[in-house]
Amino acid sequence: MVAVSAERNRGSVTDGDRGAEADGSRGPEAAEERERDARPPTLAVVSSLVAATVATVAALVADPTGGAVVGASVVCLAGGSLLGSARVLSWGAAAGIGGIALAAAFGGGAEPLLVAGVALAVAWDVADHGLSVGRQVGRKARTRRNVAVHAGTTLLAGTISAGVVYGTYVVAAGGQPIAALALLCFGGVVLASAFR
Amino acid sequence: MTAAERDRVDSAATPADETYARDGDDGDGDGGERDGDGDQRDEGGRDDADEIDTGHDDHPTDRRALRPFDTGRWVGVTGVALTLVGLGVALRQPGMVLVGAAAVGYGLYARLGEAGEAVLEIDREVSDPTPDPGDEVSVTVRARNVGDAPCLDLRIVDGVPPGLEVVDGPARVATALRPGASVTFSYAVRASRGDHEWGTTRAVVRNAAGSRERLTELETPTRLTCTPELAAGGDLPLRGLTTVSHGRVPTDVGGSGVEFHATREYRRGDPLKRVDWNRRARTGELATLELREERAATVVLLVDAREAAYVADRPDGDTAVEASVEAAGAVFTALLAGGDRVGIATMGPRDCWLPPGAGNDHAVRGRETLATDPALAPTPSEDRFYRTLWRRRFRRRLPGDAQVLFFTPLVDDVPVDTARRLDAYGHLVTVLSPDTTATRSSRLSSRLPSRSTSTPGRKLAAIERRERIRTLRGAGIRVVEWGDRSFPAAVAGANGRWSR
Repeated sequence: MVAVSAERNRGSVTDGDRGAEADGSRGPEAAEERERDARPPTLAVVSSLVAATVATVAALVADPTGGAVVGASVVCLAGGSLLGSARVLSWGAAAGIGGIALAAAFGGGAEPLLVAGVALAVAWDVADHGLSVGRQVGRKARTRRNVAVHAGTTLLAGTISAGVVYGTYVVAAGGQPIAALALLCFGGVVLASAFR
Repeated sequence: MTAAERDRVDSAATPADETYARDGDDGDGDGGERDGDGDQRDEGGRDDADEIDTGHDDHPTDRRALRPFDTGRWVGVTGVALTLVGLGVALRQPGMVLVGAAAVGYGLYARLGEAGEAVLEIDREVSDPTPDPGDEVSVTVRARNVGDAPCLDLRIVDGVPPGLEVVDGPARVATALRPGASVTFSYAVRASRGDHEWGTTRAVVRNAAGSRERLTELETPTRLTCTPELAAGGDLPLRGLTTVSHGRVPTDVGGSGVEFHATREYRRGDPLKRVDWNRRARTGELATLELREERAATVVLLVDAREAAYVADRPDGDTAVEASVEAAGAVFTALLAGGDRVGIATMGPRDCWLPPGAGNDHAVRGRETLATDPALAPTPSEDRFYRTLWRRRFRRRLPGDAQVLFFTPLVDDVPVDTARRLDAYGHLVTVLSPDTTATRSSRLSSRLPSRSTSTPGRKLAAIERRERIRTLRGAGIRVVEWGDRSFPAAVAGANGRWSR
C-alpha cells in the first residue's frame, strides 16, 4: 500500500517540476528518479572525456611524469560523470592541475602546457555543466545545443586567454619591449578587473 | 517556495504585457532553432498554426524572476592561477607562469556577464483538450526569447499538472536562444480523470561561464479536461430507509407491490384482486393480502477524499479515491436509472456537495462533479481537513430520509467513526471499500515476485483494515469491499449475502 501525499507535489525549485514527471504523482520520489534519467547528457560526457584526453596527450608531450598524473584526471572525470558527483569531478580537476604543475616544474614546453591547461578547463567545465543539466533536465531531453554552446564558449574563453598570454610571452622573448609593455599593461588591466 | 526563495523574488520583474506588445515586430528571419536532430521550426507558419489548432490557449506569459545567485562554479580558479604564477616565478619555469596567467583568463570569464531574466514567451498546445481517460495527449511547448539578450544557457521545465503522467519524453529541454529565436519541444501525457491546469513553467538561465544562475517562473495557463463516461453499474441493494415516493426499494410497509408481506382483515374498500380467496374458501372469512410497498430512496454518495485516502496498492496503481469515484459513478447511474434520488458529497478538505436529485440534468451534473470537481482531484489537496466542522456541515445538508453510501478505503479510523455516527443519527449507511491492501494474486505476483506482494507493513495494514470492517459489521453497517475483483462482481456477491 502506498500513500500519496500532497507534500511531494510541491517540487523543489530547480530540481524537478511539480512531481508530475513520469509517475511522480503516484509513486515515491524514487520512482520518479527511476523514470527520469538524471544522468548527464552523453554529449557532455563524451566531449569532456575527449578534452581530458587532449589535455593528457599535451601534458605527455610536455613531460611524461606530469602527463601520467593528468591521465589520472581522465579517470576521475569519467568517474564523476558516471557517479553524478561534482566532488569527484573537482578531484579530477585538482589532479589535472597538479599534473600540469608537475610537468611545468620538470621544464615542459610552454605551448603544450597551455594546450593542456585549456583542454583541462574545458573538460572539467563541460563535465560539471553536464551534471547540472542532467540533474535539472535529464539525459533523454534535448540538450545538445545547450552543451555545445557552453563547451564552445569555454573553449573560446580559454583560447583567447591563452592566446593573449602566449602572445605576450613570445613578444617579450623576441626582444620588442614596447609591444611587450603594451601587452603587459593589458594583462595588468585584465588582472585588476579579475580581482576587483 | 521557501522563505529564502521568496526573498530572492525580484521586485522589478517585467510585466508580461510589455513583452507581449513587442510580439508584432518579430519579422526577422533568424528564428528557429536548429538542434542536433536537424528539425527546424519556422517562424512564418506560426500564425496559421494558431488558427487551426483548437488546443492552443492564446494567453500572455506571466513572468516572475527570482534574484540571481552564485552557483559556486569556478570558485578558486584565480587562487590556483596565482599559485601557479608564483610557483613558476620561484622555480623559474616560464611554462608554469604562462599556464597560471592563462587561468586568470578563466577567473575573468567567470565574472563575465550576469544571469539575466528568461524573457520568454511560452505557447503550449495540447493535441486534444478534452480527451478520454487513458488517451495519450501530445503537448507541444514553444518558448521564444522575446528579450534583447541571448540566453546562452537555458533550461526549461514545464509545469505538468500533478494528476497527469508523462509517458513520452521528459517535459524539459536545455538549449541556448538568441533574441527572437525559439525552441519547441513536445511530450505526451496520459490523460486521467479530472480538470487539469498547467502550473508554473520554470526557466533556469545561467551566464556564459555558469557562475551565476537565475530562475524565472513563467505562467501560461493551459487546461485539459478529462470526463470519463460513467459505467452502467451493478444493481446495489439499498437499505430500508426510503422516501414516500414510489420506487424500487422493497420496504416493510404493507400495501400494493409484488412481494408478499402479510395478510390482514378485510376492510371495506380493499381492492378485490387483493382479497385472499383461498382463505375465504377455507374458512369463510374475508382477508386482504398485504404486499411490500416499493418506494424510492434518497441516497447520498459520500466519497472519502482526505489525504489519507489517496493510497494505492502499487506505486503506479490507481489510488483508492480513483477506484471510489469509478464505483460511485457506476452506482450513481444505476440508482438514478432506478428512480432514486442521488446526491454526491466528499469527505475531504475541499467542499463538494451535489444535493440529491433526479432527471437527466442531474445525471449530467453528477457526471461532471465526479469527473472534474477539485475535491475529487486525482492528487490530494494541500488544504487541511477539519473533521468536526465537516461533520457538522454534512449533517446539516443531509436530508433526513437520506441513506449514505460511503466510499472509503478504510485506512484509518476516521471513516469508521463517521459511518457509525451517521448510522446512529438514523441515516442508514452502507460502506463500500476499495481494498488497497489486497495482495495481487495470479499473474502479476508471479511476474513481480515478493516486491509488492506481502511486506510486513502491508500485512499489518490489511489486518487493521479487516478489524475496522469487523467493527462496522458489528455495528450493523453493511460493508462491501472490492480489490482484485471488479466492483460489480463484489456487489453481486454481497447481494446474495444480504438477500432476505
